[in-house]
Amino acid sequence: MKPVPGLPLPVLLASVSAPSVSAAPLGTSGPAQPGASTAPPDAQAPLAVAPVRGAWTLSLPENASAHGGRIDALLASSHRFELALAAVMFGWLLVAVVRFRNARRVSPDGGTRRSRAWVLGLALGVFGVVDGTLFLGSEGYLRDVLWNFRVPAEDPRTVRIQINAHQWSWEARYAGQDGAFGTKDDVVTWNDLRVPAGVPVWVQLVSTDVVHGFSLPAFRVKLDAIPGRVNQTWFQAAREGAWEAACYQHCGTSHYRMRGILTALSPEAYASWLHEAGRQAVQAYDPDDAAAHWGWVWRTP
Amino acid sequence: MKPGALLKSLWTTDPQRVARQYLWGGFLFLLVGGLLAMLIRFQWAWPGQPVPGLAWALPESKGALTPPAYTAVFTMHGLLMIFFAVTPLLFGALGHFVLPLAIGSRQMAFPRLSAFGFWAYAVGGALMLASFGVRLGAASAGWTSYPPLSTPAFTPGLGQTLVTVAVLCVGVSAFLYGLNFVVTVVRCRAPGMTWGRLPLVVWGLFYGAVLNVLFVPVLAAATGLLLLDRVAGTQFFIAGAAAVGGGGDPVVYQHLFWLFGHPEVYILILPAWGMVGDFVAYFSRKPAHGYRLTAGAMGAVTALSGAVYAHHLFTSGMAPVLGRTFMVLTLLISLPAEVMFLNWLMTLWRGSVRLTSPMLAALATMVVFGLGGITGLALGAVATDVPLHGTLWVVGHFHLTMGAASFLAVFAGLYFWFPRMYGRSLHEGLAKAHVLSSAVLFIAVFGGQLAAGYAGQLRRLYDPYQYTFLAHLLTLNRWTTWAAFLLGTAQLLFVVNLVRTLGWGRAAEPNPWRVGTLEWTDAGPSPVVLRGPHELSQLEVQEQLGRDWIGQAEVLPVAVPVKGTTESEAAGVEGAG
Repeated sequence: MKPVPGLPLPVLLASVSAPSVSAAPLGTSGPAQPGASTAPPDAQAPLAVAPVRGAWTLSLPENASAHGGRIDALLASSHRFELALAAVMFGWLLVAVVRFRNARRVSPDGGTRRSRAWVLGLALGVFGVVDGTLFLGSEGYLRDVLWNFRVPAEDPRTVRIQINAHQWSWEARYAGQDGAFGTKDDVVTWNDLRVPAGVPVWVQLVSTDVVHGFSLPAFRVKLDAIPGRVNQTWFQAAREGAWEAACYQHCGTSHYRMRGILTALSPEAYASWLHEAGRQAVQAYDPDDAAAHWGWVWRTP
Repeated sequence: MKPGALLKSLWTTDPQRVARQYLWGGFLFLLVGGLLAMLIRFQWAWPGQPVPGLAWALPESKGALTPPAYTAVFTMHGLLMIFFAVTPLLFGALGHFVLPLAIGSRQMAFPRLSAFGFWAYAVGGALMLASFGVRLGAASAGWTSYPPLSTPAFTPGLGQTLVTVAVLCVGVSAFLYGLNFVVTVVRCRAPGMTWGRLPLVVWGLFYGAVLNVLFVPVLAAATGLLLLDRVAGTQFFIAGAAAVGGGGDPVVYQHLFWLFGHPEVYILILPAWGMVGDFVAYFSRKPAHGYRLTAGAMGAVTALSGAVYAHHLFTSGMAPVLGRTFMVLTLLISLPAEVMFLNWLMTLWRGSVRLTSPMLAALATMVVFGLGGITGLALGAVATDVPLHGTLWVVGHFHLTMGAASFLAVFAGLYFWFPRMYGRSLHEGLAKAHVLSSAVLFIAVFGGQLAAGYAGQLRRLYDPYQYTFLAHLLTLNRWTTWAAFLLGTAQLLFVVNLVRTLGWGRAAEPNPWRVGTLEWTDAGPSPVVLRGPHELSQLEVQEQLGRDWIGQAEVLPVAVPVKGTTESEAAGVEGAG
């Protein structure tokens, strides 16, 4: 295999040798965590993020979210039905073609009342079971998690982040120590999201140029960033670690480089990072820098 | 040839000749779109490496795709395949050919609209090709052309504008043949050709045409407003009130686009469903199981198709009430699809299956459509859509349905009707090899994309391996790319067959597949239809004529009470044995 430009060698090696050799921890918390409590606010985002996977690891991205497991379980159950449907389809075709190929006797009708009733009944049954499972599972997740903003609204620990997506980066604004957006101690980061683990994170999202797609694959989070409106979603990191944020809507030539890092810290490490970053923000505050003063009033739905 | 005669031969109102014009146009764009697909696959296997033989087109990068070139490549691939290859092949070519013949009409309702429609399509196609040659290159905002990215501020250059006009041109063409097909089926059926005696392919074309008439104008509205945003300084789709002091909103475009865009995927598959329904009956030598149920199920899908579109916008921040509504409607549409699919499977049962090339292609269409449908289920529910939205899972899913299934159906139709279209027989062995290899490789390519998407690979990434969580997918993507190259190469089987047949092929028999539909059983200038399209293996026909088929308008020597439907209850008694 020839090295590919733009790909670091360890990645290539890892793609041929299955066991993870990455420096990144396999989803365990510990003092070696990238972006740990001592990291200054302007530190480089950790380079190695999610664990490098073997070449034939074709499962969903690692799940680091407190609630994403429900989606994964629903997908897994729906796959079992889908596999069964595919098996029936292939099996029926194979048996029919082998058994009736050039058969001498043909039953020359378009089915009987009974066989047509069977078709309808079978279709209704499959629909009820397969689509019903998907619908109920999905509905539960929407009700409890995706569209349930009472959770972040009612939790006093909730971290609120305003994200301004633009070609081609994620600019994130934290309210700082005073808890209010649009003040001097607002912390602004670029492609570097920091959140405390185990705490709801409430994201409000806009774009100032084209449509972008904010995704955190490890957190089962996807939401469009659209000029002219504020979209919102929330998630909760299950543990400490670092994962990638990616743009999933084509947003121009460098769409593929619109990559950010999300680091989940311990609540204490997060607090001290926010404190230090807020202090530096106050020092660096420039009232005349209009471009730096984006943001909006945080409204709850 | 004199200019006048040339003009006369190009401006033709004969549906058979319009069909051939669309056929060659469709093949041209299928070739261009297919080559662009190979470039995308190359890029994902060897990101940024020079493409062998492409240095003439991209001299500055020595043939390597640059990010702007790559965005143009995937944008043009989608637009060319959907609007200029598959739809014109299904409706323009096969539709114009078979629809008037199969309903016992020599002509379309509006012959001059057929001619005008083809030339609107041809102008659009020329603009598409021309856009590759202008400064800053062809369109690059994705086939969906979401604003504000598709506005001049973010995608400057003539190319995007030319392509916007080209989409309007092809919209005119699609609307016109839609209108023409609807009126032709409603008004021009031969006496006795009741709705219950239409071949299923006519039903498929009819439903697809209805969707064209209803929803192509929506695309034209969105594209027209977008064109005004590009050239006239309007701000229909440019960021909300705060930014420009007007009421423009990019989300309005997304809703308009998908209100057309989702019916469009059914436009691309309905004629294919019709062909599958007919061909499994013809080549099982028995009437289609549950003909009325199948036609009704296709109608139900048609009726629902405009009411499911917003599942494309599940992650756009839509109101929960809309998300829930569209989730229910989307899941609902799988019910008629299951009825139709089970009817196809039931048609095979207790038939006499003949694995001809059209039959193999129809069965292959069934399989890839089935896999595509199954992999779409998770995308219809909001929660499971979230991890898969915008990934190659979606790409694999819709390529299986409206790419592979529609493509294989085009070849099912072509292998079936070619003897009638060109009077010559294609080589069966080459045709079968083409169909089988294409089907297997389609499953390999789009299966590879489903797997990569499931592992998280996002669409439209110039270099997916920028992301650590996707780096391990390089090996899989390389294998998929090799399968895609093989798939492209396998199309030579068709090219060889076509050249050989047109050059040296033997004359075709008048009814090589021994079926009874009107396009094969020429019943004179004014046929009177007596029976349904799939009256095969009927006892009284075999006794009186000594063959297992009878023309739809053929009179049995000894009058036997004609039941009139394919779902004859009397036959059911015999069939129970």
